[in-house]
Amino acid sequence: MRVIAFIIVCLTGALLLYGTTEFPDWGDPKSPASLHVSNYYIEKTYEDTHAPNFVTAVVTDYRGFDTMFETAVIFTAGLGCFLLLRDFREKKEHYYQHIPTGVILHLKDEKKSLPVGKEFGYMDKEWVPPDLINKTVCRILIPFIQIYALYVVAHGDYSPGGGFQGGVIFGSSLILLAISYDLKTLVKRIKERLLGIFAALGVLIYAGTGVLCLFMGGNFLDYGKLAPLLPGHSDHIRAYGMLVVEIGVGIAVMAVMTIIYINIVSEGRHDEGL
Amino acid sequence: MENYPALIVVAPFITGLLAGLFVWIEKRLSYPIVLTGLFVSALSAIQVLIRVIGSGPIQYKLGGWSPPIGIEYRIDLLNAMVLCLVSGVAFLNLIASYKSALKEIGDRASSYFTVYNLFITGLLGVTITGDLFNLYVLIEITSLTSYAQVAMGDRDRGPLASLNYIFIGVIGASFYLLGVGYLYMYTGSLNMADVAVLIKGSQGSSTVLTAFILCILGIWIKMALFPFHVWLPNAYTYSPVIFSRVVAPLMTKVMVYIMIRLMITVFGYDYIFNTLHLSEAVVWLATIAVLAGGVMALAQKNLKKMLTYIIVSEIGYMVGGAWMGNQLGMTGAILHIFNDALMTFALFLAVGNMVYRIEKVDITDLKGLFGKMPWTMGGFVLAAFSIIGVPPTCGFFSKWYLILGALEKGAYHFAAALIVSSLICAVLFFKVFEICFFESGSHGHEHSSHGPAVIEEAPVSMLVISGLVSLSLIVAGCYSGTIVNTIILPFLK
Repeated sequence: MRVIAFIIVCLTGALLLYGTTEFPDWGDPKSPASLHVSNYYIEKTYEDTHAPNFVTAVVTDYRGFDTMFETAVIFTAGLGCFLLLRDFREKKEHYYQHIPTGVILHLKDEKKSLPVGKEFGYMDKEWVPPDLINKTVCRILIPFIQIYALYVVAHGDYSPGGGFQGGVIFGSSLILLAISYDLKTLVKRIKERLLGIFAALGVLIYAGTGVLCLFMGGNFLDYGKLAPLLPGHSDHIRAYGMLVVEIGVGIAVMAVMTIIYINIVSEGRHDEGL
Repeated sequence: MENYPALIVVAPFITGLLAGLFVWIEKRLSYPIVLTGLFVSALSAIQVLIRVIGSGPIQYKLGGWSPPIGIEYRIDLLNAMVLCLVSGVAFLNLIASYKSALKEIGDRASSYFTVYNLFITGLLGVTITGDLFNLYVLIEITSLTSYAQVAMGDRDRGPLASLNYIFIGVIGASFYLLGVGYLYMYTGSLNMADVAVLIKGSQGSSTVLTAFILCILGIWIKMALFPFHVWLPNAYTYSPVIFSRVVAPLMTKVMVYIMIRLMITVFGYDYIFNTLHLSEAVVWLATIAVLAGGVMALAQKNLKKMLTYIIVSEIGYMVGGAWMGNQLGMTGAILHIFNDALMTFALFLAVGNMVYRIEKVDITDLKGLFGKMPWTMGGFVLAAFSIIGVPPTCGFFSKWYLILGALEKGAYHFAAALIVSSLICAVLFFKVFEICFFESGSHGHEHSSHGPAVIEEAPVSMLVISGLVSLSLIVAGCYSGTIVNTIILPFLK
């Protein structure tokens, strides 16, 4: 079997190499890929859309329909994680901490539970006290990371960045919170329900913008038709449209990142994480 | 309204997402929302089909950008037909499988409907698009959602089947993507019609040849043509009923559609049959696929698994017909996309009804089922006759075209394989009928010792749809001349 697999791999490699024999030179300005449609994008993007960053314009306007489904792919990944991993069953054993004294209690009877509040707090099985330095540094860092994430989302049509990158940065700030404190802190701050709503809402903002264009009499995702709805220069309407969908992408990616992290590290129980 | 083409894809997409939102707010709303989306999609698909028959292909520019700058939807007779098929089957299945989804998936059913709609969105988007890369993105959505849905099936084997499916599916999709990359290197365009114009006359190009091989291999892996079929039987057998009912009729057929689209629209007959001379080799491969699928089906003990091997065999029919290189063969292949989707849907509806009542569908578990579930079995018999190819069911007519095409080409081995496979199907199904009809279930004392094993007929919603689809097999058979004359022949001209 191994020999056959090896032969197949070699054949595929040979095929790929054979295919490259006619490739244009690396970086050749005369290659078909840089002559056919790319020239149009480079020359006309600013005129068409008034977005200075034409990579963003290609991604969210000229080929915005692909990007909508790419966002849907990410949403599906999160939803798949939730459907397959989420485990609503109660844990058999419970650990509590008596907050005033710091004593840890272990309840083996699954039916018994203690009132969680000022006196008792939930506790992980392999709990180590969060490191003071880590906690403090992360507490200071997280707001800045989040502001930077918002900047990356908002500046997508001016500089490198956009919804995917900004969403990932925002999501990672939440994951950092979960790592430096514990998973419960994160889940307490941002409810699962909220994340679920955000994930769907983000993609809906994108698709909804497209539908709005339909109602305004244009084709799907034809941002140009949204001009009457927004103030400001109607030249910039396409750039505004891009910003709106980028925000949608950012929200969806942020929520999905967090959903995937929470479900994987806690095996779907949302109690103990890394 | 000229936005019907967008609605076909966007309606199930948006309603799927809305259902995903409402899961967290008001669970009960998610099912009606999803159903509405599929209904709108099916209506728009029918509108588009009527319009395409009336006034020729429709072009829809997404974002208002003309191709090749932007993405376009291009709908001609072939994909208008497939669109109606996909949206219709998805809508009917959602009604028919509602109860079984609640039973199998339980409290997660409401979020499951979101995945279901995204899956259908993927299939519709793949069918409607005129852009090579857009097609890849939608294949990704289709695959990702099907991995998730397979894993939600059988508790023990579902996840493993899904894992196998992921490994092979990812290879298939990346082959296709790589092929598109090679095409882009050569042409600088992603639009199908544009690429077709640009590669015309470059018969000897090694880049185009590599792109062609990679794209076709990728699609073959995704459609589970014989040596690449290993993922299919387990994935379809261990998935939840609601999913296997929709994936079995649609997934492979949509992939066959993509293959035909690539052959006709992108690479062109001339390139495939006159430059590369691939017809002979692929028809032989299809012949082996037809026979191997049939033989492996004979070895199965589980009814659902047996049917999945019949699907593998049917894929061979369509691939063989499409690569025959003549009009009769292609007509047969396209007609078989339509007919096979209906037949498989009818079969899986009936099997789903059985699973709903008796849970395990090993062939020995079916004893005496004719008496207990007469309507379900009636539908099953009709669908089985159609698979075997008994006139006037529709299965007969597409097989007829395929055999005529094979004879015209002189591919007698393929014609013989078709006939042998019909015989194998006859043996298979009559074995099942015999057990269901003549062996009475009350003899099995080990069954009655488990308690009151009273089997009833399936719920009315499931029965009605199952019956309607089974009857439609005869209707489709009677009208296959109309289908060929109004849709397939004008398309091939």
